[in-house]
Amino acid sequence: MLRTTLGKVLTGGSLSPKRVTAVVRAASSQTGKKPEQIEVFIDDIPVKVDPGTTVLQAAAMIGIEIPRFCYHERLAVAGNCRMCLVEVEKSPKPVAACAMPVMKGWRIKTDSEMTKKAREGIMEFLLINHPLDCPICDQGGECDLQDQSMAFGSDRSRFVDIDHTGKRAVEDKDLGPLIKTVMTRCIHCTRCIRFASEVAGVDDLGTTGRGNDMQIGTYVEKMFLSELSGNVIDLCPVGALTSKPYSFTARPWEIRKIDSIDVLDAVGSNIVVSSRTGEVMRIMPRVNEEINEEWIADKSRFSYDGLKRQRLITPMLRDNTGELKPVDWEAALLTVAKQIRNAGSSIGAVAGGFADAEVLVAVKDLLNYLGSEALCTEHTFPLDGSGTDLRSSYLLNNGIAGAEEADFVLLVGTNPRFEAPLLNSRLRKAYVHNELDVALIGPKVDLRYQYQHLGDSPSILQQLANGQHEVNKKLKAAKKPLIIVGSEVLARPDGSAILAAAQKLSASTSPEEQNWRVLNVLHKVASQVAALDIGYTPGVDRIRELNPKVLLLLGADDGAIEKSDLPNDSFIIYLGHHGDHGASIADAILPGVAYTEKQATYVNTEGRAQQTLVAVSPPGRARDDWKIIRALSELLGAKLPYDNLNEIRDRLEEVAPHLTKYGEAETANYFKQAQELSKGIKTQLDNSPFDVKLKELSDYFMTDSISRASPTMAKCVQAVLKQKQSKF
Amino acid sequence: MSYFGLDRFFTFLKTIKNYGGLKASLYKIYRMDSLRPGTLVGTDKFGNKYYENNAYFYGRNRWVEYAPQYGTDYDGSQVPAEWFGWLHYKTDYLPSQDAARPKYKWMMEHTQNLSGTPGQFMPYSTTQPKVQAWVPPKK
Amino acid sequence: MLPTLRTITNGLKRSLGLRSIQTTSVVHHESLFVHRDTPEDNPDIPFTFTTENKKRAEAILAIYPEGHKRAAMIPLLDLAQRQHGWLPISAMHHVAEILNLPRMRVYEVATFYTMFMRKPTGKYHIQICTTTPCWLRGSDAILDTIKKNLNLEVGETSKDMQFTLSEVECLGACVNAPMVSINDDYYEDLTVQDTEEILADLKAGKKPKPGPRNGRFAAEPLGEPTSLKGEPPAAGFGIRPDL
Repeated sequence: MLRTTLGKVLTGGSLSPKRVTAVVRAASSQTGKKPEQIEVFIDDIPVKVDPGTTVLQAAAMIGIEIPRFCYHERLAVAGNCRMCLVEVEKSPKPVAACAMPVMKGWRIKTDSEMTKKAREGIMEFLLINHPLDCPICDQGGECDLQDQSMAFGSDRSRFVDIDHTGKRAVEDKDLGPLIKTVMTRCIHCTRCIRFASEVAGVDDLGTTGRGNDMQIGTYVEKMFLSELSGNVIDLCPVGALTSKPYSFTARPWEIRKIDSIDVLDAVGSNIVVSSRTGEVMRIMPRVNEEINEEWIADKSRFSYDGLKRQRLITPMLRDNTGELKPVDWEAALLTVAKQIRNAGSSIGAVAGGFADAEVLVAVKDLLNYLGSEALCTEHTFPLDGSGTDLRSSYLLNNGIAGAEEADFVLLVGTNPRFEAPLLNSRLRKAYVHNELDVALIGPKVDLRYQYQHLGDSPSILQQLANGQHEVNKKLKAAKKPLIIVGSEVLARPDGSAILAAAQKLSASTSPEEQNWRVLNVLHKVASQVAALDIGYTPGVDRIRELNPKVLLLLGADDGAIEKSDLPNDSFIIYLGHHGDHGASIADAILPGVAYTEKQATYVNTEGRAQQTLVAVSPPGRARDDWKIIRALSELLGAKLPYDNLNEIRDRLEEVAPHLTKYGEAETANYFKQAQELSKGIKTQLDNSPFDVKLKELSDYFMTDSISRASPTMAKCVQAVLKQKQSKF
Repeated sequence: MSYFGLDRFFTFLKTIKNYGGLKASLYKIYRMDSLRPGTLVGTDKFGNKYYENNAYFYGRNRWVEYAPQYGTDYDGSQVPAEWFGWLHYKTDYLPSQDAARPKYKWMMEHTQNLSGTPGQFMPYSTTQPKVQAWVPPKK
Repeated sequence: MLPTLRTITNGLKRSLGLRSIQTTSVVHHESLFVHRDTPEDNPDIPFTFTTENKKRAEAILAIYPEGHKRAAMIPLLDLAQRQHGWLPISAMHHVAEILNLPRMRVYEVATFYTMFMRKPTGKYHIQICTTTPCWLRGSDAILDTIKKNLNLEVGETSKDMQFTLSEVECLGACVNAPMVSINDDYYEDLTVQDTEEILADLKAGKKPKPGPRNGRFAAEPLGEPTSLKGEPPAAGFGIRPDL
């Protein structure tokens, strides 16, 4: 809907200045000539800007911030809060800075008498109907309205309601289990509506009524359910939309904020973990233009209560009766060491989705010392051809931000909306603003934008690889094509053939830029790329062949390996932080720590190493994962040569230097070589249709041990199921 | 005899005899840091024995010998309320002599102060634990 | 009703020297801006355009160029309202379906415009203007007449679903004040007697002639023109002689 109007923007559709800017820029880049910059004066400071820049943007260039409520850099301009009114010399009225493009020679006064008076007046109008409930409002202390009324509002009130007719009251809306609404506080900035419609692609929010009776809501009884819904909480400049799980729990000034990395999907969104008294109170996004912009997905934001439930807080051993009993560390480590010593080199390890690079390398060093090479990841990846030897075969090579520039995307067996919501939001952004065309091979899923569904049969991929499909033309013609292959289809028995077909297909495209990388693989878990970088074997087949006497599970909870796959006398050690599938089959449990409790390295799906930081201390007797392995190694007489974080990071650097280059995406290449090697693959594509696990929103919320332990996520699933019954 | 101080010696011997011999007396010294002759004026229901010897000056003339089951782990709070007054010179009446002493059915049995022992009172927390541990499934 | 009650109680309290307490806020508008399921109005009630109206809808859609079809929303909602008498939620859903728009976008429009009636409305929707010019010309008497005649309060619909009475702001016929608008027709220059006649006609199933009731054709002066009677002056009229 958005897109159709945008497509006609030049022929006279809705002309918002931001879009005009984009159009002007696009037009200028086409002609290859830079538009002449125009000079304006902001508070008498000259600044040269491109034509089409708004007053607000021009002021931001020289560091003058104009107050605003409705304006948001990543959303369309609405211009309805009027807070950004500034005086322009020779203009009789103040102008809305967010929506007004600058003209040559304008003298803009952001600090004049008229501007101040305009701001004061707007603030007074906003406060007429805004309740004075800051003491009981969750936004209190981090509220734009509070801050700006202090900075720009009047110092006295003319609101003397002697008749006590009351302020405007609006009934609260039920937007689901994540967003709490107090609609009386709403100042109608419509940021939430614009976010829902532009970014999330869920057009459920809108304004109803008009004038003083206008309200924001869904009109009908409908919840606002989206995988990105939590972001409206951050967007809301007042306390109208607040976090339901966080409500009334903490105040912003009591909170300690630690920058960290999200590990609940493979995107590696940058987050801020807010903690108080050793408890994670909430998780909020941190701006990183290359990864998550300033959004995060709901699972990343709200599953933190899963970190407080079902935790492993003490070592456990299975006693004679076959029950797990809490023991102390000494007993646990001695027993485990004895079992490992008895097993000799018949030991294997399986890394789950939350394993960090430090523990992965520690376990690899230990097992290699013991003479075992059976180091596997729980999630499979094809090993034929170049396998995991060439990084380019298993990375999202073109980066997450790169997806925005694409003009044709072919999705193979993936549902990016739920596997990597922020990648999907980039695709949607490109779809809306950049005329992106999307085609999908796989089950028909709702991506919140239109795409061409090619079917779910692997034969379509074969046709494409052979150049016999109609879409081949589009791919060839595309200047910036992308092929995104889901890790889930690559886990099929014919995964290597799928990858080979994708490689062949990507080689047939002709991207305009030299550095444009067509082939991309989208992973689902945070540990996978680091594990493959360090040299783990994808998939647990090797464990099944080896039948090890001792199996070490590094938080492997997805049930890739069962007790029945192993000999009866095998000893299973679980090293992880949640009591889930892995812990219940284990004979010994060594409690590790979750991502909010450790400083650890994770590599996201585009190959970017990032580190989490310690926000809270580990619960009970839980210890850093790699330290447990280090302690165990000493009991085994194979003391690992690192005693602190710096030393193990040195070791990480030895193994793969990019693992400690935090924040940088280490790109990969050798696509041609990979394709050459894949020619030798004998596996044929079979006929079973492509499938993905996460098809609907209800599948999205509970996918791993943390989110499975989270009551909020369970409520979300319930809400989605309830919504399905609804007629609206 | 008194000239040689022999009377004191005899008193000492007599006291030792009263306490049941040398070994028992040594134990008493070990337990109570003193060996004093006195008249047994009463025994409470816990077995504590109360002595009086007015030859000592006021303030030292009444004492309690805790019941043997307490061993060396005796404590002032083991003296029940009815003997407390006599022992601390609040009254000169022995509990058996004091007719005005109230005695009701609802009065509680005396208990010693349990602080510092395993039986001490510990207020339980009403706040939820910050982290709920995983309980392994029973087979 | 509620504001009056509040005014009375507040007045009482003030005269007794008592402090007022906060009561519920004033209801600003007679209609709700959220949807509540009712037996008459719920999404289970099917709504489709009649074959005739389908043709009309197609004609409306044909006006708007491809990519701007959503502009047909207001005419289509109006068509639906004319077909059904008022605008039920299923009609909004149907329009959204035709335009391939999210339903919320239709709700927004339907709630914004007061002429979309989102609750059951009588066959004759009487909208009486009580803005200043009409009020000065005696709209209060007209309103009283209608109320008494139909036994209705403002905002109510008669039980036989014949009449709905609304009080509205200026309908742009000030020169013919006082006036009422009944469905699409304006009845202007009303007296109490005229109003009664109109209502009687409507009750009898006849359609009274719309327009001014005092003999005027439109907005011309009643009787003789009072100004601009002579020929217009020639060019150069009133200009300084030295120019």
